[in-house]
Amino acid sequence: MNRDFRTEIEGYREIEKELSVLQKYAIQNIRPQELVTRITDRFHPKRIKMRVSEIREETPDARTLRFVPAEGYLPPFHAGQYINVYITAKGIRTARPYSISSSPFQTAYYEITIKRVTGGFVSSYLLDTVNPGDDLETSGPEGHFYYNPLFHGNDLVFIAGGSGITPFMSMIREVTDRGHDRTIHLIYGNRSPDNIIFDAELKERAQRHTNLTVANIISEPPKGYDGYCGLITSELIQKIAGDISGKMFYLCGSEEMNRFCREEFAKLNIQAKHIRSDSFGLPGDITLEPDWPASVRKNESFIVMLNGGVSLTAFAGEPLINALERAGITVPNSCRTGECSLCRIRLVSGEVFQPAGVKVRKSDRRFGYIHACASYPLTDLKIMI
Amino acid sequence: MPDYDAIVIGAGNGGLSAAAGLARRGIRTLLCERHNVPGGCATSFIRGRFEFEVALHQLSGLGTPDKPGPLRGLLQQIGVIDQIDFVEEDTLYRTGIPGVFDVTLKADRSEIVHALKEKFPSEKKAIENFIGLVWEFCHQLISIYYFRDQHASKDRYPLYFKYALKTGGQVLDEFFEDPCLKMAIASYWGYVGLPPSRISFSDLAMLLWAYTEFKPYHMKGGSQALSNAIVDSFLKAGGNVRFNCGVKKIIVSGGKAVGVITEYGDEIRARSVISNASTISTYTDLIDPETVSPAMLKKLASRTLGPSAVSVYCGLDCEPGDLGIEVSTRFISLNTDMDRQFALCRTFDSPEMCGLTCYDVADPEFSPAGACQVVLISLQYADHWYQIPPMQYADTKYRFAKGLLDIAELVHPGFKDSIEEVEVSTPLTHLRYLGHPGGSFYGFDQYAKDSNLFVSPLSPVQGLYSAGAWVGMGGFQPALESGAAAAKAVCRYLEE
Repeated sequence: MNRDFRTEIEGYREIEKELSVLQKYAIQNIRPQELVTRITDRFHPKRIKMRVSEIREETPDARTLRFVPAEGYLPPFHAGQYINVYITAKGIRTARPYSISSSPFQTAYYEITIKRVTGGFVSSYLLDTVNPGDDLETSGPEGHFYYNPLFHGNDLVFIAGGSGITPFMSMIREVTDRGHDRTIHLIYGNRSPDNIIFDAELKERAQRHTNLTVANIISEPPKGYDGYCGLITSELIQKIAGDISGKMFYLCGSEEMNRFCREEFAKLNIQAKHIRSDSFGLPGDITLEPDWPASVRKNESFIVMLNGGVSLTAFAGEPLINALERAGITVPNSCRTGECSLCRIRLVSGEVFQPAGVKVRKSDRRFGYIHACASYPLTDLKIMI
Repeated sequence: MPDYDAIVIGAGNGGLSAAAGLARRGIRTLLCERHNVPGGCATSFIRGRFEFEVALHQLSGLGTPDKPGPLRGLLQQIGVIDQIDFVEEDTLYRTGIPGVFDVTLKADRSEIVHALKEKFPSEKKAIENFIGLVWEFCHQLISIYYFRDQHASKDRYPLYFKYALKTGGQVLDEFFEDPCLKMAIASYWGYVGLPPSRISFSDLAMLLWAYTEFKPYHMKGGSQALSNAIVDSFLKAGGNVRFNCGVKKIIVSGGKAVGVITEYGDEIRARSVISNASTISTYTDLIDPETVSPAMLKKLASRTLGPSAVSVYCGLDCEPGDLGIEVSTRFISLNTDMDRQFALCRTFDSPEMCGLTCYDVADPEFSPAGACQVVLISLQYADHWYQIPPMQYADTKYRFAKGLLDIAELVHPGFKDSIEEVEVSTPLTHLRYLGHPGGSFYGFDQYAKDSNLFVSPLSPVQGLYSAGAWVGMGGFQPALESGAAAAKAVCRYLEE
């Protein structure tokens, strides 16, 4: 093509002149990419090197670990968010997410509160072997279980079970310390009064702040216990929270408790838009799920082949990511409940069980991508990482 | 022998189309993506029961099977045209100022003229003349550039030579009196990122013409479906992909790009490299700036970063019709001053212009039954976002988002009460996920001086090519096209 014709376009010469001036006086930004990294790290550092500065006993089976940055600084977070804590135990590199229980008012430290889980690989490690002064790596704050001022309103009902209190503790500390104009009804379920985490602080805050009420519900009360007992039923919710219209319900407990409460919400006609829920894990026994295939036993083992030829053994009853980690293969992960999609991998052949509600994109399902943290092998598999 | 013939850095639209183009020509190709999900902008995320479309508002250039546009052929070539269910929209947009004017333009030339004449009867003649100019101008432009007329000249294409480098605003002023009419015609300016007074008439005319002739589209499953389909096609053609694998350096030896070093320190050799990172990152970070000629760095420095945006992704628990949302794309302004609206892109003041896209109008299956999703968007540059102390970021973000929700509520009462999920992205969000300076998703600003009349995609070293919005214009179609072009260029280079 005759390139010169372009110079005859009206205005061409003027723009050429403009360009030569711009190029003459332009200042070269040196490595603006460094700015990109710096800004990103201010909010979302990939990893934070933490030091455990103190450990407090909350109940006989729960402790709070306070983390201070071993280097760098801690980014701000939304009350309700979690950090993923990376550990190497028995030669296995793995991680678990823990909600931050301290107030977002300050970021000199983050605290997480850990309750002992029978057979819990990571919780046992953190409770039994970590001491003040030890260093650990964590992710930055993540997750979407937090107050959104755009549509959550000012009337909140928090329903917690066991260690599900941790994100709420952060939210309650924020609202009461900052004097936010929000009313909170906390309904907190535990097996026995001894298990109530933050009991004294919650009572004390409820006493000082008229916009906070705290109701403990005990499922296995000792003789003579005179508080609320039993399960968190619709009747109980209504009794404590009063008129439910216009209220936002936050739910954080075991998957089993969350399911129970969702059914109770349905009885009260609470709409989906008025429910926020955060589960602190997948169902304890995946094989009890209604659509689990009866032919596959929990401890059945399968061969998983990876691209590159490595193969390993995985069990039907545990998330695929655990088997990968046991074999020394680290897949990025954060929420470990099927939500964040960091552990997205491609299933080349074979079949996995994915619990209902796992957040896999529509087109990912179509093209065979799965979330390794929420996929359970049902056959031998071929996967691509 | 090098490990690969070509390494593509980044699986955005440009990188994906380049990689698939290469692999399908039998070139041994490695695609490296630092995220675990492909797509760059062309992606989605899930909140509650909604899968939100991140970036695609209206896909341009596809055309119908009978009257294909340039993008249809491209998607055919990279083997994905049959893998995607496209959803055609019959309307360009609804635009207006609440209480002042409100007009809907169908994707049909005569209907556009009809609708505008009905709303602005005193300028009937000018409307016909202007639309006539837009169509004739675009035909001339296409003859020159797409059909490569060897004898292009001022005499042959007088309209092109007269109007190509005028600003859109100048031409609108030449034809029209009513500022509302000008705005009605120029509402697509947000898709370029500059107001009519600053974009060339070429860009303004082509937007209107191409969206009308080739129709706006969306796709089932959103733009993530396109990204996944391209990766699939790439793998089937023998390509290799590594997710979670950022590239930190392009290896240059003897003035040639000969491989990359990954973030893990692995060295991978190849005969050529295509970068889908920003041009700035490619020239000043991935390769040593010392390798780049001072003249080229000067040229780079003379350009400015295009805008990013604040997007408010809303999952609503109602059908679009319940709120009176009847078109997929709506532009809502609070005044006719588009320059002022643009100036606000550099401040935290409440936005006075808002784009509203509802994907469920044309595709009722896009969201779960009885629900729909709406994305509100307002362009924003990043600089003022850099200045906010991190502790104040969330408040700032929500305050800005509230401004957009207020606008949506103004035209669709009941909007706020229908919200089931909301997520907000800002220039900092886009900066984080794209890795682009300024969080700019359109690449550089697109003034007339930034068009390919003045900027040629020269490479600082042999064997290094670029793909993506930073090479030409922003948007899905241009980015995909730049990738296809880069793939062709690499093939020629490898043959030599």
